[in-house]
Amino acid sequence: MDQLVSGAVLAVKLFTLLGLGVYVVFAGIIVRQEQLMAQTVAETFHPVLRILTVIHFLAAIGVFITAIILL
Amino acid sequence: MPTVFNAHHAKKRPSPQTQSPGSSHGSRMGLLTTYAHRPHGVRFETQTDREEVVLFLRQHIVVNVPWIVITAIMAIVPTLVFPFILGSVELPFLIPTGYIIIAALFWYLATLGFALASFLTWYFNIYIVTNQRVVDIDFQYLLYKHFSEAELMKIQDISYTSGGLPSIVFDYGNVFVQTAAEVPNLEFLYVPHPDRVVKTIRELLDTIA
Repeated sequence: MDQLVSGAVLAVKLFTLLGLGVYVVFAGIIVRQEQLMAQTVAETFHPVLRILTVIHFLAAIGVFITAIILL
Repeated sequence: MPTVFNAHHAKKRPSPQTQSPGSSHGSRMGLLTTYAHRPHGVRFETQTDREEVVLFLRQHIVVNVPWIVITAIMAIVPTLVFPFILGSVELPFLIPTGYIIIAALFWYLATLGFALASFLTWYFNIYIVTNQRVVDIDFQYLLYKHFSEAELMKIQDISYTSGGLPSIVFDYGNVFVQTAAEVPNLEFLYVPHPDRVVKTIRELLDTIA
């Protein structure tokens, strides 16, 4: 019974980390897509958007690392 | 014989545009600019050296209200709804504190991601009118880019629609450009001042005619 519970806890942890990992990839795609969009139309505010997308990507990595530590 | 009539074939210049929120005329672009006449500092990837951007358009800011409201709701849900749910539902096991913290962090992260993706979708969906062509740049779901253009000389008909209370209050509508090009129709949806857009395109057509 204890092995079943520990196995379930491990499975939940793995799925949680998998989901957060997928979101990190999504955040990275947003960074890349913003770069491609900026090449299509050049404007003066693209550095601001670049910073926002990078902050979001770094935050996603931070949450992923936090999950590895806390869970 | 005295001159009775002298037709001036001077190059027609677009009428001066009155300033309104989100609009700029021959000035620098703002982050939330939705209507700009001859903007500075704007270039797109297939623009030629002799090509000049006459109109730079985005969808009216009001189209962002739905995702802004959703973002605001998502931002307050963890502080108001989650404690209520956790307190009212009796589970046979205790949820570890680490999972609650990660769930809250991920919720706020997803809220930020949703807002960022929604803003980028609006920001990079652009309509451009140059002295040579009309361009429609669409980014769908952040992954697909659709670039449509039609030369001014191939434009057959221009029209616009503007209906409903929000359109009247905020002065936005849809501009339809019918062409003889490979792309038969270009649609500028929810653009500010659709009457001015149509007028500007007509003035450009008169110039090249």
